[in-house]
Amino acid sequence: MGEPSPPARGGREAVAAPGRSGPSTSALLLLLSLPILGFLLLPSLIIVPMSLTKGNVIRFPPIWISTHAFWDFLGDDRWIASTLTSLKVGAFSVVLASVAGATAAVGLHRAGFAGKSVVLALIMMPLATPVIVLALADYIFFLRVGLVGTWVGIGLAHSVIVTPYVFVATQVSLATLNPAQVRSARSLGATNVALLRFVYWPTLRPGILAGIIFAFAISLDEVVIALFLQGPNATTLPVQMFTSLEYDPTPKVAAVACLLLAVALLASLAQLGLSARAGSR
Amino acid sequence: MKTSDGKAARSRYWLLAPIILLYGTLAVLPLTLIVTHAFEDGLDHFRTIASSVLFWPIVGNTVVISLCTTAAAVSLGYILAAAMWCSRPPLRRVLLAVTLLPFWSGVLVKNFAWSALLQDNGVINGLLQTLALRSAPLPLLHNRFAVVVGMVHYVLPYAVFPIFATMLGIDGTLTRAAESLGATRSVVLFQIVGPLTLPGVYAAALLVLIMAGGFFITPVLLGGPQNMMVANLVNYYANELVDFGSAAALAVTISIGVAVLMLLYHRIPKEGQYGRA
Repeated sequence: MGEPSPPARGGREAVAAPGRSGPSTSALLLLLSLPILGFLLLPSLIIVPMSLTKGNVIRFPPIWISTHAFWDFLGDDRWIASTLTSLKVGAFSVVLASVAGATAAVGLHRAGFAGKSVVLALIMMPLATPVIVLALADYIFFLRVGLVGTWVGIGLAHSVIVTPYVFVATQVSLATLNPAQVRSARSLGATNVALLRFVYWPTLRPGILAGIIFAFAISLDEVVIALFLQGPNATTLPVQMFTSLEYDPTPKVAAVACLLLAVALLASLAQLGLSARAGSR
Repeated sequence: MKTSDGKAARSRYWLLAPIILLYGTLAVLPLTLIVTHAFEDGLDHFRTIASSVLFWPIVGNTVVISLCTTAAAVSLGYILAAAMWCSRPPLRRVLLAVTLLPFWSGVLVKNFAWSALLQDNGVINGLLQTLALRSAPLPLLHNRFAVVVGMVHYVLPYAVFPIFATMLGIDGTLTRAAESLGATRSVVLFQIVGPLTLPGVYAAALLVLIMAGGFFITPVLLGGPQNMMVANLVNYYANELVDFGSAAALAVTISIGVAVLMLLYHRIPKEGQYGRA
């Protein structure tokens, strides 16, 4: 089964060290890609100095240096309320998504039936559906059941769009599951529940956690659905930011952007750590 | 062994219940509602939107902005992917990390940063004035240029990875064979690597096009009223005119457009289909 195939290995070696495209070509490509990398990084680099400006207008060069924007943010009830709303929405949607996504991944693991690819495509559907369509659909539906303007409604809507991320993350860690372990547990009389608890769960934990972090970050950043479903008591942080940017751009917005960026960086580091740990197993 | 695996798998199908419940109530049901709203008066709502003075200019905006974004993102993405492919692992990891970084900040944070960069008293104009290159600020914000810049920045990582994946799938023996037969570096690049990465380029272009057509926040924050796109029109019908039927008809139209592009996307040969032995 595991016959070594020299030509394939030769190919991989060649890809790992594609020195034959020559030092000059790769140097030229690197040179060309430097401004592109700058373009990618520039916005993130600009946010921190912007949030540290004195005064009440966002301007450049910023008048150094003051943390008043951060204190303004912390002292503003509306911003604090929207932060709490975002955290509640994120937590709620992630709980629903991790239950639905992880169980579905386990349920479909090594399953072979005719329509499996269709089922997989359906599970990934929320990623392919334009957000505006989902936002309108949720809005019209939630108007009927009285969930517009509640954080529960936004959380429910978010849970659908983040489920695919948890599903994929779980699938990835399922690939490391040793089927012999499942068979031997079963032959030793493990029930389905015991199998899930003692064989699947330990293998899946890092993957599910990584999926949860990613899903939470997605929910924390989502604007369009949250904008449609918002209400006086259900305004998420991005929605608050969006309205401020439209009508009243103060350095407070920069401070929030800065904090969101910090959260995003922490999340990506956490995920990196988790995937490294999953890989070392 | 296979059958016992199959039996074990079948006994686990009950685990699909939560996702069926979740998608059923929160995706299938709402989307069905949209379809019924859109067709409640036959094709009347579709006629309403098509005869609106806003419709065709906004469709035009959407097409032009999406195509510009796609062209820019795919060309820049190709350069980045090629640079990654040519570089050795430590450098490649750095390039990958920088490319992935924007994934982690949301569209609002990015747009906010771009408006700070592009506005009249913003970073770029400030720099130009300090260097005394220009006395009057360049109009960089609240136009189509700003929308495309913001969108390219958002979608660029999505353009890089399909192209990079096809590059990784290229069989190294092919380029070596060409070189051993006397092909110059540019011949190898343009006649071997170029054609082999075309599926990745098509995939990246369609992916970016699908994403670009749905932008909502960027046209508002970086563009302004003349640069509205179809997603903004849905919002206008639903929240300003409170005409759910027309909003739904527009949403159905958008979904059909996206579905057509998705079908095209799935007809592209996937990475590694060519090149690997």
